[in-house]
Order: sequence, then structure tokens, then C-alpha cells
Amino acid sequence: MNSSFHKLTPRAIRVWQWGNGIGNLFLLAVPAGYFFIFGVSGLHTWLLSLLSLFSFTLWVSSLTWFPYLTWKNWRYCVDEKEIDLKRGVIVKTRTLIPLSRVQHVDTRQGPLLRWFGLSTVTISTAATTHEIPALDSVIADRVRKKISTYARLAEEDV
Amino acid sequence: MSEFERQHPIAAISRAAGLIRGNLITILVFLFVGAQSDNFPFLWWIGGGFGFLLATGIVNWWRFLYKLEDDTLHIRSGIFVRKDLYLTRDRVQVIDISSGVLQRLFGLVRLDIQTAGSSSRQAAIDAITVEKAEEINQNLRKQRISDTGEHTEEEAGTDRSSAPPLIIAMPFKELIIAASTSGSFGIALSILGTLFSQAEPFISDSGFFDFIFGLLPSESDTLMIASVILLFVLFAWLLSFFGTLFTYGNFSLELRKDEIIISRGIFEKKRVTIPFNRIQAVHVTEGLIRQPLGYASIHLESAGYGDEKGTGSIVLFPLIHKKSIQHFFRDVLPHCNTEAAGIKPPPRALRRYLFRSTLPALLLAGALYQFLQFNLLVWILPILALIWGWLKFRDTALGFQDDLYIIRSRRFSRSTAYIRRKRIQDATLSESPFQRFRALCSFELHVASGDQGKTFSVRDIEQLHGLGHLSQLKKEHTIHDTQAEEIRTDQIRLPGWMNPNLSKTIES
Repeated sequence: MNSSFHKLTPRAIRVWQWGNGIGNLFLLAVPAGYFFIFGVSGLHTWLLSLLSLFSFTLWVSSLTWFPYLTWKNWRYCVDEKEIDLKRGVIVKTRTLIPLSRVQHVDTRQGPLLRWFGLSTVTISTAATTHEIPALDSVIADRVRKKISTYARLAEEDV
Repeated sequence: MSEFERQHPIAAISRAAGLIRGNLITILVFLFVGAQSDNFPFLWWIGGGFGFLLATGIVNWWRFLYKLEDDTLHIRSGIFVRKDLYLTRDRVQVIDISSGVLQRLFGLVRLDIQTAGSSSRQAAIDAITVEKAEEINQNLRKQRISDTGEHTEEEAGTDRSSAPPLIIAMPFKELIIAASTSGSFGIALSILGTLFSQAEPFISDSGFFDFIFGLLPSESDTLMIASVILLFVLFAWLLSFFGTLFTYGNFSLELRKDEIIISRGIFEKKRVTIPFNRIQAVHVTEGLIRQPLGYASIHLESAGYGDEKGTGSIVLFPLIHKKSIQHFFRDVLPHCNTEAAGIKPPPRALRRYLFRSTLPALLLAGALYQFLQFNLLVWILPILALIWGWLKFRDTALGFQDDLYIIRSRRFSRSTAYIRRKRIQDATLSESPFQRFRALCSFELHVASGDQGKTFSVRDIEQLHGLGHLSQLKKEHTIHDTQAEEIRTDQIRLPGWMNPNLSKTIES
């Protein structure tokens, strides 16, 4: 059964690295803000350097290491009956969505994803929404079609 | 009825009233601001506001048209942007007929039609005659074609107590118990607190306090504070008491072939029609005060029933004794009238439960004690939290039998949910590093309900059990049974209030 689990495209790592690099710039603003409010004197020197070190490390790892871990932990599987999603670096989560419950499937593409030729597949049920992030656009379309075909076959009332 | 019709003009006023109710806080803020400014007469301020609201109401009424075509209700509304809404029979989840004080003065009702989806709240007709409401109600319900149509129409239109379908009413005694143990007590207290803090300057000016304290034997300051608190609690309790009494007075359930009709309310009458096949989950809630008394309330989750909060919970029965629950299920929801083999979290999960609930309380108490100089009494908080954690551990359980999941957990009140397998939208298993270390996991089931759906979960159950349940959901045939065999120590019977002897006595 595990053989039918797929990984995301390795290019996803690149996208997340870029995305995080830009999106998490605010982390660098935290020590800067601290500097503007308290300045550098006595105890504040220490706190400021600690804070800078911390947020810089966080920022750097968010644009190098974390995306790799996220990618490494992501698995998805679509068959005639269910969609099975496994993910999570620290908290590992596994979600099972019966295909008869799927209400609609979309593929989405932000500017960054488009640049890398990737898409996100969004699966909505009557209660929740799930994502398979950053698939190759061609594969994403295939997955979407597959899900909607299976979902139609598995139709039951809400 | 193939022409567009307009509502009764009273809809304009009820719409305006609805706007006031919906924006009460904004309006109050405006009023306070308005009262402060000198160059603008206060009365003008109020009068203008009401005039504007009334005008909005009238225009809304004018632009609101509805038409019934066979099995489709067509609603056209909107002041600037015209919106055409088509409600077809297949998609209707819940039909809700209610009448507020205003509507009842004119012999009118309000009709709410809920469909699955988030725009459900749009489909409401504020004020129409009872006959029209019934006509729409009949047309938008499925079973009438197959049934003898004449019959159903008659029953629905007239007094329901004479109709043949099974009717379950709530005894007055239970209503009083429900009202006096209502959970909205806390909410009432907080509302009262906010109101009081707003109105405090006005009241203290008026010498009201002096009057009250004149009545009390006020020896010392502590006594005074205690009596004020007591007064508050009493008042809040009365508020919630009468609130519940008026909401759930005249409560009755009417069981038809395909649907349940819930009617309730003393001043504002409400009638909700829920087809059986739209029920997503059922849960029994035993409140903190009610549980020791042996009472519980039964709720339904229905997709598309969006009330103001956007949840899909409907009270199916406000108060019922534990012993009668199974009996009730046998009559109303036969699929819930079972017992299932349940599993509890293993003993090694206890420390996680205790830790989770106690840590925040411990930190809070520590901070209060250290920095705000509270006295030693504050340390009761973590002790209560410890007990709370233990209760949560004790009550958590997960059972499965014949395609029915029974999930029991406790937040404050103990809730036992019945979820049919085919109603599960998705199932999630998650494990944090600590859980992984102890081979535990959390198991979640999502059910459609209102706008966002509802989650039922158990925490820290045996990892193998969680995986077993997941693979059981995945396949028709179960691996689960063999795995349950391995770890037999923490098995219980769910829901546990089934007692064959007792149900026999109730029947007779």
C-alpha cells in the first residue's frame, strides 16, 4: 500500500525557500525594532545580540533547512476510495478523506508557484479544506482530474 | 404561485429591528459619542438613526421578491446589487419557521431555509402568512410526493398535538431543571459584568447603591463585596433561568416519516424541520452541574444550518435524564441505540492530561501570587485544573460498532458524539514528538456542520488503536479487531448508560 504514496516535486523546496526568505523577513525586523525602542546599553546589548542571533538563525534555517524537512515529510496518495495525506515535521499528521466526501477540487497558482511551474491542489469537503502543496503543474492537473473522476464515481448524498 | 410576491410590510420593521440587533454595539458606541457632543442635539441623533434604519428596512422590503415554482423557491433581493437565489428541493437541509413578538402580533411567521453551503443565511423570508410558509415548506420537502400529500398538509397547518405522528414533549419539571442548570449562566454573568462596568457611573450617581446597601447588613467591607458578588450571581442566574425558560418553553419534538420537527419558545416561537437524512452527527452533552444530577442534553449537527454563530448545532432535546436517553434514541434515532466496544487512553497518557491542564493554571497562579500579591487561595486554581485534567482523562473514549463511531471527550461538559461512518468528512491522526515517544496519538473526525464543520477528537489514545481506526476507515474489512485484542486492558462499553433493566421500566 505504501508504494502508491507519492512525494512532492523536489522543486517545491526551492519555492518554499524563496517564499520563506521573503515572507520571514519580518523576523529580522524584530531585533531592529528592539534596537529602535531600547537602544544599545548595558543589559540591552546582551538581549539585543541574543535576539538578533536567534531571529537570524531562524530566518536562515527557514530559507535553507526547513523547506527540505517539510518536503521530506510530505506524502500523498490518491486511489479510488480515499485521499491519504501524510505530513508534518514535528507533529506528524495523517489525514484520510473518503472520495465520496469530496465536494470540489481546485488547482491554484500564486506568482511564485507559477514562476517554478508548480500548482497547489485544494480539496474541499463539506467540513474541511486540505491542500497538496507545490506539485508540478502537469501532475497537479492530473491529480485534480483523478480526484474529480473518482469523486464522481464514489458519489453519495451529503 | 408563479408570480413574484412581496412580503408583508411588517418585514420592513422587523428588518430594521434586525439591523439594530445586529449592530447593537456600534449603535451604542455612536450613542455614547453622540451624547458627548454638545453642538448636535441628542434626540436628532437618535431620530435620524431610526429614520435611516426604517428607510433601509422599507427599501429592503420593496426590493425583496419571492416566487415558488414547483420545487424551487426563487428569491430576488438586494438594494443595489440584485441577487437571485434559487433553492431547490434536493439541496434543502433544514426549514425553520419561527415567529417573534412582532410577527405574532400580525399573525405572521418567519421562514428560514438552510442549504449546505455558506450563503445559507440569505434564504430567509422575514414576514409571510402562516399559510404561505406552509405552502413553501410543503413544496420544498421531498417525501410529500410519495406520501399522501393531503394528510401531511393538514397536520402541518393545524394544531400538531392532534396529529398522529409521534410527539415527544418536555415535562415542565425537566424544563425547570434545564433552566436552573443552564450553562448560559456564565455567559449571562459576563454580559452582566460588561453592562455593569459600562453603566456603573450612571448607577452610582443615582444613589442606587446606597439604597441596596441600606438593605444589607453591611458590617465590613468584605461582607459588602461578598454581597455584591452574591447579588451579581443571583441576578445572572435569574437571567439565564428565564432566558432558558423562554427559549425552551413549550418544547416538543414531532417525528414524521422522514423528518423531525422541533418546536420551542414561549414568546419567540421557533419551528425547525430537519430531514433525517441530513443529520450529520448526534451528541449528548452532560454539563458540569447537570452530570451529577444525571441529566444531559442532546444536540444535532446538520450541514448548512447556519445560525448567527455559523455553527450547525441544533438542540434536539434540551434536558433528558441519563436513563431515558437510550429510550429516546430508540424512538427518535434508532441508529444511535447501540452500544459499542470502546477504548480509553492507556494509563501512561494520564500524566499528559494532567500536565496539559495544570501547567497553564500553575503559571497563572504563580504569576498572580508573585507579582500581584494575591493570597494563598489562588493556589486552588492548579488543584482544580489537576482534577479537571483527571476528569478529562477518565472520560475520553472512542468506540466503534456497526459503522457507528462513538466519541466521548470532555472540555468542560462531557460530550458523547455518535457519528455514522458515512457522515465522516475526513479523519486525521496526529502525533507530536512526545506522543510518538510514548506511542500515543490523537484521533480526529470531521463532520459537516454549519459553515465550518465540526471536529470530534480524542487525545492520547494508543497509537496502534489510532492506526487501526484509520485503516478500518480506509478499508471495509477491519484489521482493527485483531489489534483491539492485543491491548485489552483499557476497554469499556460506550456510552455506558444503557441498562437493560432500566429501559424496561421506562417502557412500562
